[in-house]
Amino acid sequence: MDRRHLLKNSLAGLVGLSAAKPGTAAAQTAAVSLMDRPPKLLPIRAHPDRIYDIKCCIRPFRTKGPRLDIEHIGDAMVVHNYGHSGAGWSLSWGSADMQVQKAMARSPKKIAVIGCGIIGITSAIMAQWAGAQVTIYTRELFHRTRSVRANGSWTPASHMALASEAPSNLGDTWERMTRISWKNLRPFVGMAGDPVKFADHYYLSDTPFDAAPPPPPPSPVPIPEYYELGDRVGDITAARQTLTPDINPFPVKYAQRTTFLFFNFSEYGHVLMSEFFARGGKIVMRDFHAPSELAHLPEKVIINCPGYAARDFWKDKAMVPHRGQTEWLIPQPEVNYGLTYRNVEARSKSDGIMMIDIGAAGGLPKGYGNSNEVPDRAEAERAVRVMEELFSRFPANPV
Amino acid sequence: MRPNNILVASALLLVLGTAVAQARISIWDGVYTEAQAEHGRTLYMQNCGRCHGADLSGTFEIPPLIGRFMPYWSGSTLDALFDYVSTAMPLDHPGALGPAANADIVAFILKSNDIPSGAKELSASQMKTINFDPAKPGSKRAQK
Repeated sequence: MDRRHLLKNSLAGLVGLSAAKPGTAAAQTAAVSLMDRPPKLLPIRAHPDRIYDIKCCIRPFRTKGPRLDIEHIGDAMVVHNYGHSGAGWSLSWGSADMQVQKAMARSPKKIAVIGCGIIGITSAIMAQWAGAQVTIYTRELFHRTRSVRANGSWTPASHMALASEAPSNLGDTWERMTRISWKNLRPFVGMAGDPVKFADHYYLSDTPFDAAPPPPPPSPVPIPEYYELGDRVGDITAARQTLTPDINPFPVKYAQRTTFLFFNFSEYGHVLMSEFFARGGKIVMRDFHAPSELAHLPEKVIINCPGYAARDFWKDKAMVPHRGQTEWLIPQPEVNYGLTYRNVEARSKSDGIMMIDIGAAGGLPKGYGNSNEVPDRAEAERAVRVMEELFSRFPANPV
Repeated sequence: MRPNNILVASALLLVLGTAVAQARISIWDGVYTEAQAEHGRTLYMQNCGRCHGADLSGTFEIPPLIGRFMPYWSGSTLDALFDYVSTAMPLDHPGALGPAANADIVAFILKSNDIPSGAKELSASQMKTINFDPAKPGSKRAQK
């Protein structure tokens, strides 16, 4: 690529028109080490016409926290593994590890897994690693499950339970799941295709980050008080770093930077399914409508991973829907960062620039109690226009 | 037990068994009426069609109510489907419709899957007695 063209079209190049250029005296006085300043950032082409998909799903929030107990249906032992709220992608390996250990206590040769979302497929692979022959019974293959309509980022602490209903040991259980998941994700980092990837993420704000947020709008229903997990995994979480004005490449007054881990659905899904089939795993397409049906399966040890479907399949009234929508813009592999501005989050994934309106802080969480799974085009365009306006503030390219 | 008593008990069991067998019917026995399915169509379009589509074919995310719908729901009695429709649907307002409306919608779904209509309306109270057979019992397809 022409280096002059690249520079002209890079954010660093554009900012260079109005701010200190690298190597000048002003840049050398930056509070953050010069070597640690943001690299050249290429712009996100945030325009509604570039939306090529809108995905909508229901997070499986469970007021009592993830269901991890054992239940007996006829002569079958059912090990529950569902209700991970917005943390399924993050907690999947750790939760699978705990539940497979319970399942293996019977020394089964064969194990059934119900559901093929991220919790189901990781449970199935973990059971294979433990030596069992595994059959997944599911109504959808992985790429059509609700899991693949989620955000797919490392968010292990995403609303695990209501404070009033959480079991007393939830914090310890959660920390164990988080740490085991983290260890199990390590082999996928750096793998060809980046199934799991780290990327810098910028938080941008028009007001100081420590300023009091505006009061939330009135809520028609009681605002949920979530179980407080505390700072248990700070040692594996990158901190936020404040960018001083002289190294802030964005046309926004306040900026912070951290580094996030996220999942690329296509590659990660492919790797997981390939692993499952390579180990002799089988998939049976079917739906279940009542727990009693599980007693008729040939496998007598069953790991139950239905996600939000547990609300009706298991009549689990602790399941509360929490709608989430992501909008997907045509991939830009040259964009190697994410950002959050005015309650809209953007991440550059291998299969697209993902945006999500995460809603205002405080008040009723956006989508809480909402089980509408129909994509909302207007919501998608609103989110994209926030980013479009942000990037429009950069000076025009003086070609 | 004396031989005579055994004979009486066996006969009684046979009669009871036959009665149960007769009470159980199949979705293929004409369990809804054309008028009911037509009313169900209207209700479906008002409450279900936005997600499942006017032709019941669903979307990439929303399950279809034809095609694979049959193997996914057959094998139990019709109350499994009726209960699900009654308690889980419409997805954004679960349980919003009453039993009669849900029975009409189930009738429309049956008709859409080429299950024949009959002379008697489908009611909520009889769902448990209707087998959701994947094919007409006794037919060549069922025997396969």
